[in-house]
Amino acid sequence: MSIRRIALILAGASLLPISTASAQEPDSARVAELERRIDAVTRELERLRLGRDVVVADTALPGFGPAASKVYRVNQGVSIGGYGEFLYENFAGTRENGATAATSDRFDALRAILYVGYKFNDRLLFNSEIEVEHADEIFLEFAYIDYLLNENVGIRGGMLLAPLGLVNELHEPPVYLGTERSVTENRIIPTTWRENGVGLFGSNDAVAFRIYLMNSLDGAGFNATGLRGGRQKGSKALADDMGVAARFDYIGTLGLTVGGSVYSGETAHDRELDGDPVGGRTTVWDLHFDYKVRGWDLRALVAGATVSDAAALNRLNGLTGVDGVGESMLGWYVQGGYDVLRGVDTGHQLIPYVRYERVDTQREVTFGAAANPANDLTVTSLGVAWKPVPQVVWKAGYQIHTNEALTGLDQWNVQLGWLF
Amino acid sequence: MALLIPLRRSAAVALLAAAAAALPVGAQTLTQDEALALAFPGADIDRRTAYLDDAQMERARSLAGGSVAIESGIVTYYVARKDGHDVGVAYFDPHRVRTLPEVLMFIVGRDGRIRRTEVVRFSEPPEYRPPDGWLGLFEGRALDDELSTKGAIPNLTGATLTALAATGAARRILALHAVLAPLDP
Repeated sequence: MSIRRIALILAGASLLPISTASAQEPDSARVAELERRIDAVTRELERLRLGRDVVVADTALPGFGPAASKVYRVNQGVSIGGYGEFLYENFAGTRENGATAATSDRFDALRAILYVGYKFNDRLLFNSEIEVEHADEIFLEFAYIDYLLNENVGIRGGMLLAPLGLVNELHEPPVYLGTERSVTENRIIPTTWRENGVGLFGSNDAVAFRIYLMNSLDGAGFNATGLRGGRQKGSKALADDMGVAARFDYIGTLGLTVGGSVYSGETAHDRELDGDPVGGRTTVWDLHFDYKVRGWDLRALVAGATVSDAAALNRLNGLTGVDGVGESMLGWYVQGGYDVLRGVDTGHQLIPYVRYERVDTQREVTFGAAANPANDLTVTSLGVAWKPVPQVVWKAGYQIHTNEALTGLDQWNVQLGWLF
Repeated sequence: MALLIPLRRSAAVALLAAAAAALPVGAQTLTQDEALALAFPGADIDRRTAYLDDAQMERARSLAGGSVAIESGIVTYYVARKDGHDVGVAYFDPHRVRTLPEVLMFIVGRDGRIRRTEVVRFSEPPEYRPPDGWLGLFEGRALDDELSTKGAIPNLTGATLTALAATGAARRILALHAVLAPLDP
């Protein structure tokens, strides 16, 4: 029953004749009684609007003090959210070197996601992201239980998003500029990177941190283009090797996030080569800057990775020559946009943006191997994002791809994204 | 990393249970009484309810702006009095963030500007909760174009809906306050 309906019923009840006897009472008494009833109705209405736990005075439950009793009165319930994106990609007919390209254009129902959470009490909650990719692939992108030790620190366990970079944890299209995520946060930080684990998280008004113990990447999936194939995505994940991911951000200035993150773990999961164990320690790090102020949306990120025992991993993976995983990788980008409608009396936002990015996933390769110059690339993205409301975005953009092999292929894209 | 064995779900649950037994409760929700005492220490609080007519509703909606909903004409507010004078008024605004409700308390001063904002109820996951520093941006704000996520109130990265809900609530309360003019001149 809606609050409006309940209010009407209560208000109607308050206007009923007080009683036959009271009708004979002096007017002042009747007015006082009506005032009492109206006051009771408005209190009840307020209680319904705000919630019983807000309006009811603090009282102790048996065996607990008032503060300790609060956990028994907290709000519970299911929370649902979501986001998604459609992406149209139109590729040029010729490559950077003039060669004919036969890459087909694509129109993809790239992602449709539901967030489902449940709050057991003020300290314990469940949160999850269930994703349909490309219209026919289903993934669990995260699912965890949070337990708040106090208002600033909590324990988190389940399938966790690796807390690296700017996009891996916040990847809803209206949140970032660009029709596609950056290459750095695709190949070096393999967004969306999620693994099973447990850890601590916390924040106050000035800083935020997360530190997780997670099942490690699987080195069997690495290749010359980066670490993306090493994600286990929580599916029967090999856990002979575990990794540690940590992040620290300064958030003390509103709109500004600046910080860094690191991940390290062995990735061979007890595999051996010629009778010798292989470690394959992989370390990924990043430094990032994000500042949104008065219409400006500014970002910069640099990320790197090192893979030890790359030669052994390449042999285990059957990778030779220029196809081997790099021992060292580096990528960075700078990006800026401005809402040109900021000074206009409208709820719409129109944000032209530019991103310049350099990535090399074979910055260093194993002794005797060669790097594929196509993996040393530059992407310049120009585009515009239109948000009729902050949760919905249309983006159109042009990407100029160049690389050391001169095989870059430009493309223009249109993206429709949303979150709720 | 052979020394680090995988944590099983049961182990994680046991860890949580142990922590629950050992640590104090960290409450996230204020009661109305607590919030009012926090805002007006030592003041007398007078609870009042206003019943807006159609013209007042229309004016409030116009002042708040088209994107801000004002659905009820029954407005309860709390006037604080000290030394025989009205010193401010508290409004409690319930609204939805994603799918769950939030209640914010706004204190409006004699100058018609927001003096304080407190979260008294927040049901979404804590990462969507507005930080105190961000809520502090409402302090001193009047009902003008700057009271907007396109103006002086920056969006919360990753919590856009929280920012929109709170900014809309601030505009709604200041619009109602302007129509009600509840404080003694």
